Amino acid sequence: MRHLPVAYSVRNVLARPTRSLMTAAVIALVVVACTLLLGLIGSLRRTLISSGDPRNLVVMRKGSDNDGSSQVTLEAYQAIRFFDGIARDAADQPLVSPELVVQPFIRRASGGRENVLVRGIEPMAFRVHSEVRIAAGRMLVPSAGEALVGRGLLGRYEGAEIGGELRFGRGRWRVVGVLEAGGSSFESEIWVDARELARDAKRPFPYSGIRVRTASPGDMAALRRRIDADPRYALEAKPEVEYYASQAESAHVLYVLVAGVALLAGIGAGFGAANTMYASVQARTAEIGTLRALGFSRRAILRAFEIEAAALGVAGFALGAVVSVALAAAVRHGLGGVGFSARTFTTNVIALHVAPSDLAIAAALAVLVGVTGGIAPAYRAARLRPIEALRRA
Amino acid sequence: MSWARFVLANLWRNPLRSALTAGAVALAVALVSLLLTMPAGMDLLLDRLASNTRISVHHKAGVVYTMPAAFTRKIRQVDGVAAAVAMSWYGGAYEEAGRVTFPNFAVEAEHVGAVYPDYRIDPVELDDFLRYRDGAIVGRGTLRKYGWKIGDRVTLKSTIYPADLEVRIVGEIPNDAAPMLWLRRDYLDEALKARGWAGLGNANVVWVRVADPNRVNAVMRDIDDLSRNSEAETASETEKSFFGNFFGSLDGLVRIILLITSLVALCIVFIAANTTSMSVRERAGEIAVLRALGFSRAAIFRTLVAEALLLAGGAGLLGVAMAWGLTGTLRALAGWNETLGPLGNFTVTPAVVAQGVALSVAVGLLAGVAPALGVVRRPVAEALREVF
Repeated sequence: MRHLPVAYSVRNVLARPTRSLMTAAVIALVVVACTLLLGLIGSLRRTLISSGDPRNLVVMRKGSDNDGSSQVTLEAYQAIRFFDGIARDAADQPLVSPELVVQPFIRRASGGRENVLVRGIEPMAFRVHSEVRIAAGRMLVPSAGEALVGRGLLGRYEGAEIGGELRFGRGRWRVVGVLEAGGSSFESEIWVDARELARDAKRPFPYSGIRVRTASPGDMAALRRRIDADPRYALEAKPEVEYYASQAESAHVLYVLVAGVALLAGIGAGFGAANTMYASVQARTAEIGTLRALGFSRRAILRAFEIEAAALGVAGFALGAVVSVALAAAVRHGLGGVGFSARTFTTNVIALHVAPSDLAIAAALAVLVGVTGGIAPAYRAARLRPIEALRRA
Repeated sequence: MSWARFVLANLWRNPLRSALTAGAVALAVALVSLLLTMPAGMDLLLDRLASNTRISVHHKAGVVYTMPAAFTRKIRQVDGVAAAVAMSWYGGAYEEAGRVTFPNFAVEAEHVGAVYPDYRIDPVELDDFLRYRDGAIVGRGTLRKYGWKIGDRVTLKSTIYPADLEVRIVGEIPNDAAPMLWLRRDYLDEALKARGWAGLGNANVVWVRVADPNRVNAVMRDIDDLSRNSEAETASETEKSFFGNFFGSLDGLVRIILLITSLVALCIVFIAANTTSMSVRERAGEIAVLRALGFSRAAIFRTLVAEALLLAGGAGLLGVAMAWGLTGTLRALAGWNETLGPLGNFTVTPAVVAQGVALSVAVGLLAGVAPALGVVRRPVAEALREVF
């Protein structure tokens, strides 16, 4: 069987540049809408899922789903420190970090307020949260009103910069350092001294949760069972990774949104593509008749039109990909981070990045839109009877 | 042939193309209407929950910073305050759910009814709440979710206080959307003291109902003046502003959604303009003949634009109807899967219908005028020469 060359289909796309460009632009807009939403979900998931160390456990009061609404007594902390299966540092100190999470109001630099996650820590926190480091400035000095601020929050709040003065809770806090944590949600937190924070918030219990580094994966299961079963404290231990993954569940709403947008806009654009292809078939009736008379099979014609439709899809994708990457960069620089509230009611600041996988999904969608839009017109072209087609011309 | 029939006949000339265009425009209008329901949905949710005569008094630093519950008595003495109730977040997890799945607060049974008259709680049930120390009033949404009924006993494990409580449901808040549970402060206070802790001396929020809607701002100022320079300085705000601030951090997300909405709207203009220009170009000869027969430029222009308007407008109505059906489905789904909860609040309001239809009319105009102008402006002789 003789095929029509691919170049024939591509040239046909180029033969009517305005009309093809319009259709490609429609497909491109679908690509942009889809990639931006997928990029948003991806960035949110990456932020939350990259948080947490697979060796760590989060210990909270039973029933708490975030360490902001939990209480742990000093007594429980002292007991857990000496449980078996906990990793120790060079000085033989157990790697247990007691923490107090409080969500005070904080004023946005752009006006309005939101809840920010403030984590009261002790120096041990930096050894248990191995991914968190001080990227600029220095460690805070306890009881001196000093704070470390996550990289994602810089500029978002009044005074959120080294040397700046943050106002939250009852006091004022001087920023002495910037936290970096590989893009994870710790970069959306403010860290201060635990005792100072407990005093500021007048908490009867000094801690809201405990983070524990286990000595080995085998110890993790045993330690969990022991903490869960201890009747004295009503505490519960969860792997840190699982804890952050469950925070990402709040992205489910976004999934539905993306699916809806992709479906509706995709079908709409498919209709648009079908329109262009129908017009193209109609305009080329004589040409198709001639091709058939020359001996090209129905299948060859069908294939040529399908390739033309796919080419439209690819062109639309290319256009859309460039625009969406540019838009994502514009949003990153223009808006800074995109705020998103997870279950904690505090804000996670996400840098909007379009990942290659998002583009791959959008590419598949664009070609699918082009090809399904092209199927019916391609059939019509293939079904044309050569004699009639030629006579009509 | 009347003018209207002429327009219709032209639309029918290529029914497949008209249908495809209408379909594309309808889908895009449906999408834009759906996205438009989101900010309106938030507002509607706030309006349904919030009253403009109710204010929230909380610590200036945030609701997690507590203030002395005794402060409520001082608030009640402020001129213009009709009622005030102290609330503490109990953070109770229902045993079977294993985590906190609905908001629950410790409240004063004797004051809560007067602060929330708009909730229309049965007075008999409020009396029972006063009578039974372990009583609880539960929102209908949560009652339905767990199949509870009045008279049931439910155990809540607090994530905040070292006191798990068994409560007896004595009443409901008759609103399908209401998720909250109220239990009594004195019951929790006693339980804490019995376990050797200090009692419940603090509150997260004091909710206040103001008698006169015109004096809300003055009352808020007077209340905040009470605690000036104390350890727990308060900040008052209306209920709507209080809940609205919960969504405040989402503004970046909202902006991205709006960006996408406008892209989609642009997309429809492209689709419609594309089709109109195709169909006008194909009819260049016919239009030239009409002109030669004596039809004026204006008449032909009107016909072409009317055609585009009719197609886009009809498609817009279809799109709005689709959005209406979809939000209905989402509401049904939200009742079935709790993680989709927020999507259940989106309703196609008359404002959204108006916006959707206005968008489609604008699309029809934009898509019809440019190609129609182009074809009408061409000299008749030139166009005819090309055809014959």
